[in-house]
Amino acid sequence: MDLKTKLSILSDAAKYDASCSSSGSSRSNKSGGVGNAARNGICHSWSEDGRCISLLKILFTNNCIYDCAYCINRASNDKQRASFTPEEVIKLTINFYRRNYIEGLFLSSAVEKNPDYTMEQMLEVVKKLREEHKFNGYIHLKAIPGADSQLIQEAGTYADRMSVNIELPSNDGLQKLAPGKKKEDILKPMNMIGSKIVESKANRKKYNNAPQFVPAGQSPQLIVGATPEPDYQILRLSESLYQKMNLKRVYYSAYVPVNQDSNLPAIPKPPLLREHRLYQADWLLRFYGFSADELLNEGNPELDLDFDPKMDWALRNLDIFPIEINKAGYDTLLRIPGIGVRSAKKIISARQEKALNYQDLKKIGPALNRAKYFITCRGKYYGDFAFNPDSLRQKLKHKVGKQDKYTQLSLF
Amino acid sequence: MLYFIYDGSFQGFLTAIYEAFYSDNPPEQIVSEENFTTNLFSTTKKIETDEEKSDKVYAAIKDKISSYTLRTVYYCFLSELEEIEINLFHYLKLAFKEGGQVNKFHSNDIVKKIKSARRKVSREAHRMKGLLRFRTLKNGVYYGPMEPDYNIIEILARHFAKRLSDQDWIIHDLSREWAAIYNQQEWALTPLTETEIELSAMEEEYQDLWQEFFDSIAIENRQNKKLQQQNMPKKYWKHLVEKNN
Repeated sequence: MDLKTKLSILSDAAKYDASCSSSGSSRSNKSGGVGNAARNGICHSWSEDGRCISLLKILFTNNCIYDCAYCINRASNDKQRASFTPEEVIKLTINFYRRNYIEGLFLSSAVEKNPDYTMEQMLEVVKKLREEHKFNGYIHLKAIPGADSQLIQEAGTYADRMSVNIELPSNDGLQKLAPGKKKEDILKPMNMIGSKIVESKANRKKYNNAPQFVPAGQSPQLIVGATPEPDYQILRLSESLYQKMNLKRVYYSAYVPVNQDSNLPAIPKPPLLREHRLYQADWLLRFYGFSADELLNEGNPELDLDFDPKMDWALRNLDIFPIEINKAGYDTLLRIPGIGVRSAKKIISARQEKALNYQDLKKIGPALNRAKYFITCRGKYYGDFAFNPDSLRQKLKHKVGKQDKYTQLSLF
Repeated sequence: MLYFIYDGSFQGFLTAIYEAFYSDNPPEQIVSEENFTTNLFSTTKKIETDEEKSDKVYAAIKDKISSYTLRTVYYCFLSELEEIEINLFHYLKLAFKEGGQVNKFHSNDIVKKIKSARRKVSREAHRMKGLLRFRTLKNGVYYGPMEPDYNIIEILARHFAKRLSDQDWIIHDLSREWAAIYNQQEWALTPLTETEIELSAMEEEYQDLWQEFFDSIAIENRQNKKLQQQNMPKKYWKHLVEKNN
């Protein structure tokens, strides 16, 4: 099989992986080497689904021993199969990189023969790239659940980011749809990678030249909508993973109906709006100081599709609003709908010059179409109807709901 | 109306700033020779580029204000926006008075103008770090053509000198007819008009592979061409291998 056909099959097979981020690492180039990593990441192109292309995202092979119901590469699917050789992956990576097509490599894989064999092949690719070809560009590597932890650990010394796919948000889901995979096999390498990252960071504080281990962190992915878990359960899972596993971030991938299976829900289209709301809520957990229990609870376990999660939270907690923009601290500003991390910081620093009036606030540029209902500016309220807890939700639904037309979140 | 006319270089511009600060009669406009058109009401003063003076201004911005401000001035200069020079003069007057915190005056009009110019340049430079495409020529050189809105070639040359340090490359700004040429040691700027290029024998194969990857990585069920175009405006497509085959 020629290289072009292989590339076609194995990039097509990798495309459902949501992550394409190339940020978080600042690996520098060395003399005689090729490439470096940019801390903020760089997007090199955008495909027709609007997603950023930063990395050469491919599977090493789509030849799989498992038969996971939701997966396009399941063993029982009648699909053309292909496997790269390590040399082929290296050749593509280096030549694409030198032409500035890509920021680096994202190598994932189906499980061919057994987890160890697959992990060994992937390890060979990254080891040769770094050692023989002096490649210092970005590498995101998937750890294969069930592979020997020595192999995963060695691979981690070459990768910038590593991730293990959680696949499904509950053990029940896993048993039903991915009977070949065990929860322990997924959590064990995540735990190991997490503790190695902590260890390496501590060492590097003491010794500048201590070896790096996955400097850009780990970022697992889970599939949303293939199994019945509510958003509350998913957010609780993410929250606890952030606390325990030292994760960079969790990726949510709306289930794309690629297979027919009696265990799968019959949906015509992937639940993209739900995926979008989960990302918004995830951001609130990581950057806005919210907890999963504030956003949702047993009685109200799904994110509202009409309002973004922060707006929904604000409408349920109107007693703390309206908030005076010239007095509120950073943490409180962050809780106002329409005010993000950047505008909150700008408001704080602009206040050092003078007390802000509404015109000043406009120049700073938060989303006032949402924020104005929840703030006062030098004591004055600027919403276009009176602040009334009983009717605000209804009125906003009419107003903001229309403006907040869903656009896909861009994943950097 | 008093015009300061400088030679169009960054050094020349900093010299003009020096003269403007120490002049009893500060300029109402600072314009490069190339952009100056004389009119009935203009009086002009020609600024001779002076290394000592420009170095002084450079150091003063860095030490007395902040290196962030220095970078802001440099990026804004590269924007080539109309009246950017005189706006920078007003910005610097304020900055020397207020110090580095001037950049936090988000509701001040002049600061806002300057920050917006900086953002335009740094945003395009960041974009182009990803969107520039090199082609290999018969002589082994990697050739990257572009037509950016702003004069970002120096920013890119610095980036690629670190990243692609073991290959010869040329970054060519076709609209300004300038090129940065790198020989695995150092890079230099030189005038260069559009020329015929001869691709290496291998080049087509890799362009073809990249095109294949680009097409197969998109998920049809999630097609969103509007978002694609929003992230990657059409003005950049002309030189993209994947969009121009």
